[in-house]
Amino acid sequence: MSWRVLRLEGVGKDFDRADGGVAQVLRDVTLTVERGSFFTLLGPSGCGKSTLLNIVAGFEGATTGGVSLDDTPVTGPGTDRTVIFQDVSNALFPWMNARENVEFGPKMARLGARARQELSEKYLRLVGLDADGGKFPFELSGGMKQRIQIARALANDPDILLMDEPFAALDAITKKHLQVEFRKIWNETGKTIFYITHDIFEALLLSTHLAVMTAGPEAGIKEIFQIDLKEPRSPSNPDFAALYSRVESLIDEEVQRMRAR
Amino acid sequence: MYAGKLARLSVSILVFTGVWWTSSGTFFEAAIVPSPVSVAGKLTEMIGNAELFAHLGASLRRIVLGYALGCLIGITVGVATGAIRLARDLIEPPLEFCRNIPPVALIPLVVSIFGIGEIGKYFIISYAAGIAVLFNTAAGVLSTPQIRVRAALCLGARKRDVFARVVLPSAWPHILTGLRIALGFSFMGVVAAEMLAADQGIGFLIMQSTNIIAPAEMFVGFLMLGTFGLITDQLFRVTIHRLMRRYMIPMA
Repeated sequence: MSWRVLRLEGVGKDFDRADGGVAQVLRDVTLTVERGSFFTLLGPSGCGKSTLLNIVAGFEGATTGGVSLDDTPVTGPGTDRTVIFQDVSNALFPWMNARENVEFGPKMARLGARARQELSEKYLRLVGLDADGGKFPFELSGGMKQRIQIARALANDPDILLMDEPFAALDAITKKHLQVEFRKIWNETGKTIFYITHDIFEALLLSTHLAVMTAGPEAGIKEIFQIDLKEPRSPSNPDFAALYSRVESLIDEEVQRMRAR
Repeated sequence: MYAGKLARLSVSILVFTGVWWTSSGTFFEAAIVPSPVSVAGKLTEMIGNAELFAHLGASLRRIVLGYALGCLIGITVGVATGAIRLARDLIEPPLEFCRNIPPVALIPLVVSIFGIGEIGKYFIISYAAGIAVLFNTAAGVLSTPQIRVRAALCLGARKRDVFARVVLPSAWPHILTGLRIALGFSFMGVVAAEMLAADQGIGFLIMQSTNIIAPAEMFVGFLMLGTFGLITDQLFRVTIHRLMRRYMIPMA
């Protein structure tokens, strides 16, 4: 499918509260994500980032507004958009080994055994697990499981990877390695990334575009940055540091606002 | 390590048998609690005249058929109640009610309806097994992580793929747990049914022994229940362990 932009227009989302009222989680979110970009949504916890990702994935419908790829509205989950979940233990199929997990998408696409095997070999190699195809998720560390989830998504050749804080549950060292490697993978595969995080450093390290969200309820977009930092990106770079404190102060503002309420 | 475990097992069995032996004829009258020796003698006699096999055969046949039927119904209805909202809302309330009625309590009614024939016994065992399997299956289907289903949808799974390739495998460990519990319930069901209305079977053997004052026969009955319960449960454990290696779920 050839498209140019992923568009979110006036997206709002209400939830029914337990007390019978209505909670307005998202309000009037408008964004444009260009094909091939690494678009990160950064915001304080509980601001509705994941809800927004679920709407883009097609798992949930928006209460107002909508999501479209060029002019084709998103009406449900599709193989053009694949989600990488943070809770990788539940996201993987525990009764399948790494290879079988990666081959799930190709199998659903009715590819033959040979073609499936080529894909799983290729993508397991890409994430550095070519020797671990026969292992089951319970035999692998959190970082390795997340690599498998990434390989599983890529083997399905989606246009967009929707990533919901994929590295947030990992230890600091594993996280750092995966961030660097994932940026390489993004470079090599040229996928469009829609990435969610509450980690400013991660956002600046990875993204080409960064949208900072306002605090919920009625969360929206506070500011959007295009990131053109010198490569390789490093926190010791003055531009990196300056942008970091700028984004940090925006987030702090939102946290203050949320506390004051 | 292994030798130590074996030693402890031997001590455990020896102490248990010893307590039984010494209490027979002292703490309990030998006419009520016979000694292991007289029970062993009775066992040999009953094997010799094939009486034991008649009782054992009758009970095992009832368990196998009743259990199989109960599991079949339990899995089918359990999957339906777990997967289909409408089925759950319609079927679950009466089932929640029924699960509080122990199979034994139904025996008088079952005897009035089916008489003392085999059908009533199959019914009791199927009921006992079916309820356990049903609730475990439904719980398993319901506990499938939402994101696993969502992941499958992103990867191009259609609705029936999600059911067959994600929901059922996710429920599998729960279903097997239900099947194992149900096996124990089947033993209870068959004994209860045979005690009240039968002319053959281990339950009948135990009940009849008090009428004809043959305490050793009663203990042969206990021996059979304990032994076959243990064997089937162990077989089940090994099978589950084989099947569940992929899930790495330790079964107690």
